[in-house]
Amino acid sequence: MVILVGLVVGFWQFIRLDPGYNPEGFRLDQLWIIVEKLFTPQRGRDWSDLFRYMLTLENPLLQTLKMCFAGTIIGSLMAFPLAILSAKNIVKTPIIYWPMRILMNLIRTIPTMVLAVIAVIFVGTGLLAGIIALILFTFGIMSKMLYEVIETIDMGSYEALESTGANKVQSFRFAVLPQIFPIFLGYILYIFEINIRSSAILAYVGAEGIGTPIRDNTLYNYDYVGATIIVLLALILIVQGISGLVRRKLQ
Amino acid sequence: MIKFVDVSKTYPNGVQALRKVNLEINKGEFVAIIGLSGAGKSTLLRSINKMIPITSGQLFLDNTEISSIKGRALRRLRRSIGMIFQSFNLVKRMSVYNNVLTGRVAYRSTLRTLFGFFPREDKMLALESLDTMGILDKAFIRADQLSGGQQQRVALARALTQQPRLILADEPVASLDPITTVQVMDDFARINRDFGITIVANMHHVDLALKYANRIIGIKEGSIVFDGGSSQITDDILVNIYGRSLKHDEVLGE
Repeated sequence: MVILVGLVVGFWQFIRLDPGYNPEGFRLDQLWIIVEKLFTPQRGRDWSDLFRYMLTLENPLLQTLKMCFAGTIIGSLMAFPLAILSAKNIVKTPIIYWPMRILMNLIRTIPTMVLAVIAVIFVGTGLLAGIIALILFTFGIMSKMLYEVIETIDMGSYEALESTGANKVQSFRFAVLPQIFPIFLGYILYIFEINIRSSAILAYVGAEGIGTPIRDNTLYNYDYVGATIIVLLALILIVQGISGLVRRKLQ
Repeated sequence: MIKFVDVSKTYPNGVQALRKVNLEINKGEFVAIIGLSGAGKSTLLRSINKMIPITSGQLFLDNTEISSIKGRALRRLRRSIGMIFQSFNLVKRMSVYNNVLTGRVAYRSTLRTLFGFFPREDKMLALESLDTMGILDKAFIRADQLSGGQQQRVALARALTQQPRLILADEPVASLDPITTVQVMDDFARINRDFGITIVANMHHVDLALKYANRIIGIKEGSIVFDGGSSQITDDILVNIYGRSLKHDEVLGE
């Protein structure tokens, strides 16, 4: 409790010392102007124009879905073996799991945006850059999340398998895998959600998808941006809904 | 069948769990190991299938000395030894049938088992084991939905599916209620009698050990202080093994 209070006070002090801090308070009136521009038709358009525009978003939307799907699945599959090799209870020798963990931490430190920029340098702008960025990002967090799960499972059944004469791979397959697989699937869905949200931003550095229209329209066509945001929001809600349903069924 | 010659075990942290143990167990016996917690019962049991390697002495399994055995040979050795645990150690999310089937995993190639392909004879063996244990009707229920006694029976079925010569049991009934305890102990007795499988069990409850085993081994501080038939046990011997008279929870009752 004390720590919490300390953090809040510290944070508040920090804001006050920031030279950018506006002592007159937040300019809420400015905020309202922008909100207005986002959600009312601009430049002589009307609501039906806006609606028609939303329909044209179908293509970027599909791009985004494809990008996130590929990135999440491939990244997760790559993370799987790395996670196993990093788990202390499976791989008992530090010589193996230490370098694995360091590699993992390295990749995870790089922000998704930077990953995307690097990808664009290598393969040019477009969907592929986005997929690569998402693969790397997914790989980073999935391997950590996964090895932590592996380390918390009950090793009793693993010991039992070993006592029957099964080798490490078999013991893993029959005692550990059944315990982590549902959790693994749950994580894939969770990371998929995160990636959908990232893809809007990734467009700014060159990947494609639903972020591209946002980026292109930000200066002059705020209403288009608003429409895109609504579509993106709807997508995220649907993905979250499906993900929740599937995850509950896995229980 | 099992022969300990001057076997000692000292753990890396300095604890000496076994001190020059000499012991011979013959085929078909039902052996119960009794003693205080920490006396060395678990270490003794687990050194038989080398789950815990010994630090000195020799251990013979059917005239094969096991200290140098490892890898494939070790696994082949373990195949014919079943192990029963106090906490059952089943794979909770899997069905009873699949749990029992894992008893055959060591007999098949890694690649096949990876994809879950078991030959028909293995599947039949699994079902037969379930039938022997009287839980065939529970075959496709998830393992964690069964009661403790039933789960231990699944574990026994799994061990039987290995077609073992020997079953090691580490306090197999310590987690069960008194009635289920008797049922599972009866199962052990039946397996020993009908299949001729040697049973070596760590027992927490002394009266159970005396009732079911035909041979008792008493361990105290890493050494064997009693080795004989259950009829030879007297109260004095028990006080020697436990260093005191028995506590309430070391006797099942009746």
